[in-house]
Amino acid sequence: MTTLATPGRTASGVPLRPQPKHTGKKVAVIAGLVVGACFAALPVLWMLASSFKQNSEIFAYPPRLITQGFSFDAYTTILTDPTKLRFFLNSYVVALSVTLLTLLVAVHAAYAFSRYEFWGKKTINVIVVSVQAVPPITLLIPYFGLVVVLKLYNTYQGLILTYMVFTLPYAIIMMTGYFNTLPRELDEAVKMDGAGPLTALWRILLPISIPGMVSVGIYTFMIAWNEFLFALTLTRTEDMRTVPIGIQLLMGQHSYEWNEMMAMSILGAVPVLVLFLFFQRYFIGGMTAGAVKI
Amino acid sequence: MSNGARVRRLVAVTGVATLALAGCSSGGTSSSDTATGDGGSGGESVALEFQQWWEPELPDGAFRGLMDKFEEENPGITVELLSGPYSSTKEQVVAGAAAGTMADVVGLDGAWVSDFAKQGAIADLSSIMKDVGYDDSQLASQVQVGGATYMIPVVNFVYPMFTNDALLEKAGVSAPPSTRTEFADAAKKITALDDNTYGWVLPLSLEAPNGVQNDVMSWTWASGGSMLKDGQPALTDNPAVTGTVDYIQGLWDDGVIAPGSFTMKEQDKVEEFTNGRVGMMIDSLAHVNTIREANPDLTFSISAIPAEDGYAGERGIPYASWGIGVAANSAHPAEAFKLIEFLMSESTNSELSSIAHAFPGNTEAVPDFVKDDELFGAAFDIYKAGYPANEFTGLPVAEQLMRDFGEQFQKALDGQQSMQDALTAAQKAWEAEF
Amino acid sequence: MSTSQTSPRAATPTVTEPAARRARSRARLRRRLTPYGFLSPTGVLLIVLMATPIVMVVGYSLMDQVITNKNPAFVGFDNYAEVLSDPVFYTAVRNTLVFTISSVIAHFAIGLGFALMLNSPYLSNRTKAGFRMLYILPWLFTVAIIAVLWRLLLNPNGVINYILGSTGLTDGRTEWLSGTGTALAAVTFINIWSGYPFFMISLLAGLQGIPRDLYEAAKVDGAGVWAQFRNVTLPQLRPIIISMALLDFIWTTQQFALIWMTTGGGPINVTEVLSTFTYKLAFTQYEFSVASASAVLVLLMSMVLAFFYVRHQKARD
Repeated sequence: MTTLATPGRTASGVPLRPQPKHTGKKVAVIAGLVVGACFAALPVLWMLASSFKQNSEIFAYPPRLITQGFSFDAYTTILTDPTKLRFFLNSYVVALSVTLLTLLVAVHAAYAFSRYEFWGKKTINVIVVSVQAVPPITLLIPYFGLVVVLKLYNTYQGLILTYMVFTLPYAIIMMTGYFNTLPRELDEAVKMDGAGPLTALWRILLPISIPGMVSVGIYTFMIAWNEFLFALTLTRTEDMRTVPIGIQLLMGQHSYEWNEMMAMSILGAVPVLVLFLFFQRYFIGGMTAGAVKI
Repeated sequence: MSNGARVRRLVAVTGVATLALAGCSSGGTSSSDTATGDGGSGGESVALEFQQWWEPELPDGAFRGLMDKFEEENPGITVELLSGPYSSTKEQVVAGAAAGTMADVVGLDGAWVSDFAKQGAIADLSSIMKDVGYDDSQLASQVQVGGATYMIPVVNFVYPMFTNDALLEKAGVSAPPSTRTEFADAAKKITALDDNTYGWVLPLSLEAPNGVQNDVMSWTWASGGSMLKDGQPALTDNPAVTGTVDYIQGLWDDGVIAPGSFTMKEQDKVEEFTNGRVGMMIDSLAHVNTIREANPDLTFSISAIPAEDGYAGERGIPYASWGIGVAANSAHPAEAFKLIEFLMSESTNSELSSIAHAFPGNTEAVPDFVKDDELFGAAFDIYKAGYPANEFTGLPVAEQLMRDFGEQFQKALDGQQSMQDALTAAQKAWEAEF
Repeated sequence: MSTSQTSPRAATPTVTEPAARRARSRARLRRRLTPYGFLSPTGVLLIVLMATPIVMVVGYSLMDQVITNKNPAFVGFDNYAEVLSDPVFYTAVRNTLVFTISSVIAHFAIGLGFALMLNSPYLSNRTKAGFRMLYILPWLFTVAIIAVLWRLLLNPNGVINYILGSTGLTDGRTEWLSGTGTALAAVTFINIWSGYPFFMISLLAGLQGIPRDLYEAAKVDGAGVWAQFRNVTLPQLRPIIISMALLDFIWTTQQFALIWMTTGGGPINVTEVLSTFTYKLAFTQYEFSVASASAVLVLLMSMVLAFFYVRHQKARD
């Protein structure tokens, strides 16, 4: 298993020198990838195209990708509406805080799971795994009451702590797996020099765990960014709403603002895509260790 | 580093983490203080919360404008609008009532009233009206549960029949059908026009089952029928209901209903009509402007829902309301009722009806568009000639009743059971809920 | 993995006996308490915000008419009996299993297929990065928009029917989401589309971690592409596959919004799953006690899964 701790180094990132007999295979792989990309991306392309249409053209038959009414109106409407921009700001604040706090809390718990034997470890472990099995919708009413009692209703903190409850179990599992792949000798060596466990964690383990933290961080970010039900229930005023609620607000009682909904979700996805682009090198490496040795 | 220092540092870090959590829970209380609406204990200034889905449905700033006017007229009362998506308003009210954080004034749908009243979430408006000495003679209607009013419909969206004039003409139908036979005939002719045109559209989605109310039961009401008898469900041994479902089954068998019914929602229905793929639909007046904006070339007219052949009585016309109620735990019921009074007053109600393109809940109010717009004028005449009919309003678990019925109805249309069995099964399910 | 953690420093002989013993026991105590310190923020958060509501739901499930009635009465297991005697509950269990198992298998198959292609040695890194971006797209959208998008695409007059119809593959009239025969397959398909990227990324990471020399050795033994896949790739990925499959299973059984917003559990009840069943009990029938009982049953079923998961994890340690 420890061989897997250094993904990327043995990885096939470096392409083999193309040999003539590989041309056929290369064509086959590219053809396969293109087919797969159609499955993955065509629906999203349709969403993008719809965001440039007039509402009336969304349901036109025969359907057309590019329509006569092509316009950026939907984007202009969203980007010039301070209320909607506030939704984006709220989503960023919440998702980023959740990501950072989840990581902060999870690495400590994961360190305990990875490096210590203690009474109740297995029980706690079962609990941490099984809490993610609770369907959130069933908890809505008691949870809401609790949030009100704790005076967290309609606050960023309420949302942030709620999402941490969702993301922590997975983050702990993944980080424990990741730490398990790192040789114990590393932190033992620091401790020999008289440093405490925290020093070992922060100075030694965390710097080499950045890939793992990035992968967990992106997952966490996605969860917090896209969540709807609790975001709606736990907030009350317009200045606390997040993007998914903004999208749902466009689904009216009588009619939908189709193009604005599509535009808003495209606008929401772009920053996440940029984030992924920026971090994907780490991400691809980081998932391995965690997933292999959960 | 000494052992002691190490421990201290460990404690410090976990302490910081815990403090961060604790700090989170103590911070940001300012905004939730007003959650229960007990803003000004000194009686100086009262902050009312008004939870509704109306603001996002209206032109930007329009509803806030009305509230500003109210605040001007009532110094010392401020209104905070809490707006959410229509589709989840109900869950939010339920959760809010359970946690005691309900807004003082809430927007209501007739289908929810009975349940909220039973839950003790909304206040008895009859007694508030008595306390403040309100004269309710101007109210077009009140929704009552057990003899007491819990909701007042502020504006009503009626559901007449829309017909696509061009399609009808092309199919050789000279005037919008007025009887069921004429309707079935017109539907057949329109469907025969080409491959992708249908006579009628019937949304039966189980997520939003109001199609059962607006598109199915409306046929019964239009012929003066009822699905209830002495307030109890009467789906079986009821010629009015049997006639309706058999009639729709006939349309279904003729293949004149646009595909996709079983998961179609009201919003989809309108898109089919707007794009000229269906000739006729029963739909909310709220859509007139949506359709005009989306397809300015479409000419359509509005008429009463066809009745049974030979029926000459008044036609019931289905409607959906933006209703209003007061939270049972509101600390300011009197101020909350002032807001309702304001919204129901002749001038405000006219104005709100105008911007919402709905019919007023105040009998005196006349919205502008009725005078200025031919279509709305026609609709208003239909409305006045008939009577507003929505038997689901005020029933217990009304939405579940629609869903029960919808499920059995789908099964019958799908050929898994006879219409008679569907009615029997729905009747049984309804009786269990009453 | 060895777990003995004896500290080598404890045996330093320069301190006097009782003091040393005290220091040793203090050190041991501290050592014993340290992991709890590390776990405390997690513990506080999960106990306050997760365990409390779960306990409350369990409490609700034993009472009659909670929420709607101010003074609910204790009724024992009546609500459970009510749920278990409802035939729709079993339909929901069956649909949930079909939905979940097909989703997990397809997530795995598609995820692995895409990961293998993205890991192909015949392509440049830039090409692979480009495709990787395309392939994670479905992951980026909130459920509401995924539901709306697919309702548009699968509409009887939608683009999918148009393409199928104009190429002659079908008559272009299929009512994907509203046909009793196709609805469950259609929502499962949507869930597969929206959920495979996470699986794919994990498998891709796993593939990149497989040491090259294993393949070289297999080649020396004369193994073909298929034999290499079976004897090297699959065994190496096995831990990831099992963990991901279990997690995915748990997550997919909870899927609510996607099904609710596309079909609402219909037509009739062919797409009724446990989450929509529970939701309807709570929010359209206001039977919060019965809904809580149903939720607890779901929780128990999930805990059986979680138990297997942890056992699998222990077995590997």
